[in-house]
Amino acid sequence: MIDTPAAPAARRTAPRRVEPVNQHRRAEGRAGYVLVAPTAILLTVFYLWPLAQTVVFSFTDWNPGTGLVTTSVGLANFTHVLTDPEFGRAVANTLVYVVTVVPGSMALGLVFAALLATPFRGRALYRTMIFTPYIAPIVGSALIFSFLLTPLGGLVNQFLGLFGVRPIAFLTTEPWAMVSVVIFSTWQLVGYTMIIYSAALTNVPQSYHEAATLDGAGPIRRFFSISLPLVGPTSGFLAITGVIGSLQVFTQVYVLTGGGPLGSTETVLYWIYQQGFVLFDGGSASAGAVLLLVFGIVASIVQLTVISRRDAVELS
Amino acid sequence: MARTSLRRALPHVLRHAVLILASLVFFGPFVWMVLASLKSAQEALSFPPTFLPQEWRFDNYLSLFDAVPFGLYYGNSIFVTVAATVGQVVTSLAAGYAFSRLHFRGRNVLFVVLLAALLVPFEVVFTPLMSLLASLGWLNTYQGLIIPNIPSILGVFLFRQFFEGFPGEIEDASRIDGAGVWRRFRSIMAPMAAPMIGSFTILAFVYNWNNFFFQFLAVNRTEFFTIPIGLSQLQSTHGTSFNLLMAGSTLAILPVFVVFLLFQRQIVTAMSGGLR
Repeated sequence: MIDTPAAPAARRTAPRRVEPVNQHRRAEGRAGYVLVAPTAILLTVFYLWPLAQTVVFSFTDWNPGTGLVTTSVGLANFTHVLTDPEFGRAVANTLVYVVTVVPGSMALGLVFAALLATPFRGRALYRTMIFTPYIAPIVGSALIFSFLLTPLGGLVNQFLGLFGVRPIAFLTTEPWAMVSVVIFSTWQLVGYTMIIYSAALTNVPQSYHEAATLDGAGPIRRFFSISLPLVGPTSGFLAITGVIGSLQVFTQVYVLTGGGPLGSTETVLYWIYQQGFVLFDGGSASAGAVLLLVFGIVASIVQLTVISRRDAVELS
Repeated sequence: MARTSLRRALPHVLRHAVLILASLVFFGPFVWMVLASLKSAQEALSFPPTFLPQEWRFDNYLSLFDAVPFGLYYGNSIFVTVAATVGQVVTSLAAGYAFSRLHFRGRNVLFVVLLAALLVPFEVVFTPLMSLLASLGWLNTYQGLIIPNIPSILGVFLFRQFFEGFPGEIEDASRIDGAGVWRRFRSIMAPMAAPMIGSFTILAFVYNWNNFFFQFLAVNRTEFFTIPIGLSQLQSTHGTSFNLLMAGSTLAILPVFVVFLLFQRQIVTAMSGGLR
């Protein structure tokens, strides 16, 4: 800290005219530390310290139940994680999630953003209704889905029954459980992608559209030739945040399927949770978390380069 | 003549058709939830389904409060959400201002650490974090539900960015008038940040109200259950009483929905501004 006891004495001997400036500087510096301190301290205690522990514990046989670390086990946790078929399946499930939910929610979000780009009667109402799933608590909306998808008397099965389809136990049979999780997650996320794309589309100069209209381009042609290329960087951003978000999926899986049937909807985070809080294998949970972290950092670095490219596009 | 008007009307008709279908898919489930919460358990699953309840069962909500102490969960959720939100707004506003406007040694290093911490999702650190909370005796406490959630890196970024984009002249003028840093912060800069405070408050409120995963790990005693935890518990105890489950979901979703309707513009601004 710059606020040492010697400081006032030094100030007294300094030339008079400089004094107020120094004093201001010092007061500002002190204020800076005080204002940053709450965030910095809380972040260190509840974030950086556990992060350091995660890394250290990933090389030990830490038991979160007892809090005991007895010995270092080298890379054994990592070998366990990487050879555990359940972890492999969790990674595979997460990948399925990434390649379905991320592009699906982006495509739908872009379509809705484009349909809502120009003012017309009812626009605000449509936007509100499409956005609502994103702000609703996931536990609540996942319960609605489990109600809609229930085999006997659920609305979806009743509807399918009109076409002679026999009731499907969507949440407890393969592959329907994963399909349900994917559809729910896409449904939940579209409001977000729509809002982000809307913001990007408002940055597309109206004159481009006017010029294209004069040249005889219809709305669909304008969408593919003007809007779509110009929101490219936004798509990059959404793709990467989508991937990072996919690594953190837990709540809807917990409520809809509980990870089942037979682990077919278990995600990476769900696997880490089970290792740490059900099996009390803190070492493996930490190793899994470290792998998640590495993957997240790689994705974030890609994201940062995408964003800086986006800024470059906006500046040009 | 008729053909050109049809050609002109067709895109609008198509657009409304797509959007009406989308509204049904995205908003319909919430309507169905409210209607089911007012039906009897049998009617909620009846074949063929009824749209409006044949018999309005407002007493479902009373049964819900008998089945689980939903009032208590509500109180817990409101208290935890308000406290964490206030904490996030105050600490982020302060740090954002300091990072943007004040010069102090180590500022850039601290900011880089903050940037780096943004790369680490909470989901990576939860196992040791929960055992830290356990050793502090903070599991099943309000402070355990609130304090670890207070530091918000996103908040610090949003406020720093706000102050960066804010003309410096006003602050300089009052600095020349002899206003100290605290006075400038309290009486000029913080009030000027009101729009950002508004947007971030709402964003933080929605985030904290919906913060299932953290709360799920930090409490297991019903006195400290929040709405999302209470709902998932209700699912395990009353899994087939869909009318009660839908009543619970309605009560869980209602506050965020109302906040969203009131402050839609701020939420959208904060969300689309947060990525620049």
